[in-house]
Amino acid sequence: MPWDKEIEELRRRHEWAEAQGGEYNVGRQHNAGRLTVRERINRLVDSGTFQEIGKTTGAGEYSENGQLKNVTPAPYVAGFAKINDRPVVVGGEDFTVRGGTTARLDRRKGGQGGFSEDLAHEYRIPLVNLIDGAGGSVTSAKNRGHAVFPGVDNFDRSVDLLGEVPVVGAVLGSAAGGPAGRAILSHFSVMVKDTSQIFAAGPAVVKRSLGQDVTKEELGGPKVAVDMGGTIDNIAADEDECLELVKRYLSYMPQNVWEIPSRSESGDSIRRCESELKDIVPEERRRPYDMRRLMELIFDTGSLFEIQPRFGKGLITSFARLDGFVVGIVANNPMVYGGAMNVGEAHKQCRFVELCDTFHIPLIFLVDVPGFMVGLEAESHGVLRAGMRAVFVASQATVPVITLVVRKCYGMAGMAACPQRGANLKLAWPSAEWGSLPVEGGVAVAYRREIETADDPKAKEAALEEELRFYSSPFRTAEAFGVEDIIDPRETRPYLARYVEAMQAKLQTMAGPKKKLGVRP
Amino acid sequence: MARIEIESDVTGTVWKIEVEEGTKVTEGQTLIILESMKMEIPVLASDDGTVAEIMVEEEEAVAEGQAVIVIDA
Repeated sequence: MPWDKEIEELRRRHEWAEAQGGEYNVGRQHNAGRLTVRERINRLVDSGTFQEIGKTTGAGEYSENGQLKNVTPAPYVAGFAKINDRPVVVGGEDFTVRGGTTARLDRRKGGQGGFSEDLAHEYRIPLVNLIDGAGGSVTSAKNRGHAVFPGVDNFDRSVDLLGEVPVVGAVLGSAAGGPAGRAILSHFSVMVKDTSQIFAAGPAVVKRSLGQDVTKEELGGPKVAVDMGGTIDNIAADEDECLELVKRYLSYMPQNVWEIPSRSESGDSIRRCESELKDIVPEERRRPYDMRRLMELIFDTGSLFEIQPRFGKGLITSFARLDGFVVGIVANNPMVYGGAMNVGEAHKQCRFVELCDTFHIPLIFLVDVPGFMVGLEAESHGVLRAGMRAVFVASQATVPVITLVVRKCYGMAGMAACPQRGANLKLAWPSAEWGSLPVEGGVAVAYRREIETADDPKAKEAALEEELRFYSSPFRTAEAFGVEDIIDPRETRPYLARYVEAMQAKLQTMAGPKKKLGVRP
Repeated sequence: MARIEIESDVTGTVWKIEVEEGTKVTEGQTLIILESMKMEIPVLASDDGTVAEIMVEEEEAVAEGQAVIVIDA
């Protein structure tokens, strides 16, 4: 029959692709506690929706008379799929084939200008990178006969995508080089406890360069990459949870920047007014409280999704839904340095504000910030520059913002939480207080001479603090319309929901790529 | 039984120790109160368990990331 032979050959070629790096290498991958790239894709996407692209790529072996003997598949698997019924592009290195190293193809399949990136760009759909590879090797120079100039496989497309469609990076093995870089060039990144590491360069290079002995886990495990460096956003306990987080993240995102996030059924009454909100902020000003609990009480039940929960812990950044509408929450965490903004907090806030602005997600600031972090350590890490960057980034955001002052709102860190452009809606709970700097400490500076020369300096300082605190009542500022409203904490949910509903018209009309201006401080 | 070291999230001083070795604690319970940035910052139990070791004393300075108390959970 016509073409039977060729159809049979195609089938055999697909079989070789399915076999990946062979039984032995697949077994090694499993023994290391990891799934193969095909298993990952199947678990990530809606059942039966994966449509592979380039299943025939690879290195063919032929007999002397030209008979096909075998094809070693290219170490990258990519294709279309659906996640929560929406089209996405998904791709990842196949570690079972030569450790997921780069294949020498006429066109890259994924990453750094590869076909999967081109598809995400052209069709304006999200891209999920499943990262499990170490990138370039010095041996490639020998293979090619010349050293490859950095950027032959460049990041330009990866960079452009960050302003076009959601990009997610899941780090599922040891990542260095290009794949590691790609994980960072994403809107959301997540790695797996115990089985994944990420670094600019691995232990062998560190040993040769600095003489230091470190293990992969010490150098690039989540403790360093997530908690300390903030290099990767979130940690998952295992690969299944990692893929769940990817799915969950995408559920808050529009398909691209020309759309806005879709509203979902909330099932949580917008009239829910929790009495616990009235008591959550202690009257004793030295006592902190649980900001995460406060957030749960206000937003749709089960809708909080925290980004970077373990880095810059004085600040909480979280997606949520309110009456089904997607919102981004930036909340200070009084449990960590009273919620002061340090370098990590500032970077975290900048990134989240830009993320929400890019995808037209309205921002809600829940403010309890005493100011920038003080002290020698913070200053030597550049807290002032980092903090002013947060002010700069907030000022550039064009997405609607609501500022709700829960307790403290002081100084320039406070300004970073209430961008003055747009409606500049500032709400406050009765527990709110604000100013250039808190009365404690501020009095010591402004009245230094009076305090020093008083008979009882401590009593004088206390008396001055008491006097000034009288003026810090939020009601006095509200009389002057310096804040737009003071609300009963219990009514926060319905109050915010009215504004979020009303601003949807603006979100619809502002969809599209955002302009970036000037030089960040 | 797992031995869980609980770290301080902040640099500051130990203000009050709320438990003793052998005290049964529940997740989220305040074990130690630190003072930092003029605020009382609680160190909370990460799990249900029993206090095995208190590694600091009142008025002692603690550093961010320092283990301050151990519970068996």
